[in-house]
Amino acid sequence: MFMRNLAGVTLVLMSGGVAFAAPSPVASPSASASSPNLSAEQTAQAIKTDSVTIPTPGELFSALAKATKADWAGGYRGPIAMNYKTRPQIALNLGGLIADGFIAVQAQDAQQVKNIGGDITKMAKALGVSENILARGNSISQFAESDEWSALQEELEATQNEVKASMQSHRDQDLVILVSLGGWIRGTEVVSGLVAKNYDAKLGQILRQPELLRFIRSKIAQISPELQNDPLVKSVNGQLQEIEQIVAKPFGQSLSAAEVTKMNESVTKLMQEIQKKN
Amino acid sequence: MRRSICFCLTTLGLLALGASVLAETDKEVAARAVALELAGAFSNDGFKLRDGHWAGTLAPNESKVIAVNLYAGNEYWFSAGATESAKKLAIDVFDESGAPVSTQMFNSGTKSAAGFAVTNSGQYFVRVQLTEGESAGVCFVYSYR
Repeated sequence: MFMRNLAGVTLVLMSGGVAFAAPSPVASPSASASSPNLSAEQTAQAIKTDSVTIPTPGELFSALAKATKADWAGGYRGPIAMNYKTRPQIALNLGGLIADGFIAVQAQDAQQVKNIGGDITKMAKALGVSENILARGNSISQFAESDEWSALQEELEATQNEVKASMQSHRDQDLVILVSLGGWIRGTEVVSGLVAKNYDAKLGQILRQPELLRFIRSKIAQISPELQNDPLVKSVNGQLQEIEQIVAKPFGQSLSAAEVTKMNESVTKLMQEIQKKN
Repeated sequence: MRRSICFCLTTLGLLALGASVLAETDKEVAARAVALELAGAFSNDGFKLRDGHWAGTLAPNESKVIAVNLYAGNEYWFSAGATESAKKLAIDVFDESGAPVSTQMFNSGTKSAAGFAVTNSGQYFVRVQLTEGESAGVCFVYSYR
């Protein structure tokens, strides 16, 4: 156990049972367990936002990395097109590229991170947001060169949010959810593939996220009818419904090996459709 | 040192983004600085700070419930900060069914945090409550490792 003082807050890092930082001096190990349950009305009215309710690919990879020694470099894919014709397809692929950046960070592969950082900038340019993320691209390269992997994870998410903020300021807010979705699909493709290869119930538990998929689909239902009828968006949304059924396990239950394999096949097919150049 | 500079730059960037793009009030921007200051302590222990946040204004005894999706195996710290008119903030975490989750807690005036290691993936709810003081700007962020 060690203590640290920062900004007037004394932190105590525990080792053993609860293996994470616990602030002191007024830390209370289980104070919230005595709270009454939230009502159905309270949970239904909970605030849900793209930037807080949707986890980053980095969070998913972090969970897997703790449970197994994953071959992250085995999750790399070949170069994808940089000149897609439609904005929805660009947005989905931009999200996928950001997930690729997180994969390269997990693999601690500086050159791959720099390559992907360059691709993110190129693709963002196609959406007219490159000015805003140029500085982020430079930061990604600098952090990669100095092996600052933790900072890189935060920088990648900041880059993603920079792109989304730019979309909102350019009245392209409907594309924001597609960036998040592209990242979720690419991240899930890699993780479900790794879990399928090394299946155990603990790994199968990581992929259970039915409410997340419900939220993403509810956001897609809010975008403009024109965008909803884009052939790629329509197809992706339809397939998400099928994936939602695979992961709809009761709280506390894991996906079976067969379900993980099925999920991997579904998201791999989705990703191929998203990155296909017509 | 460089990591500290990075955190400061990120914090400043986030504050600038919050002010310019998300059109947050001055109170919310100030609350965010308090929340980020607290979350920064966890960053020093290997927790990665999410760039996203929720900010708003809470009246005395008012609370907001925020939905997050967490992964089994990860550890999380949820941090909230408020402007000075708040005297005490509280954070509680609930699972997908709305049942309370046992957490490590930290409370210090306008700062509050709750942390736990997730064993079941799924949706969780974080309740941020202004338990003492006057109406205040409040901000919520979270970190994971």
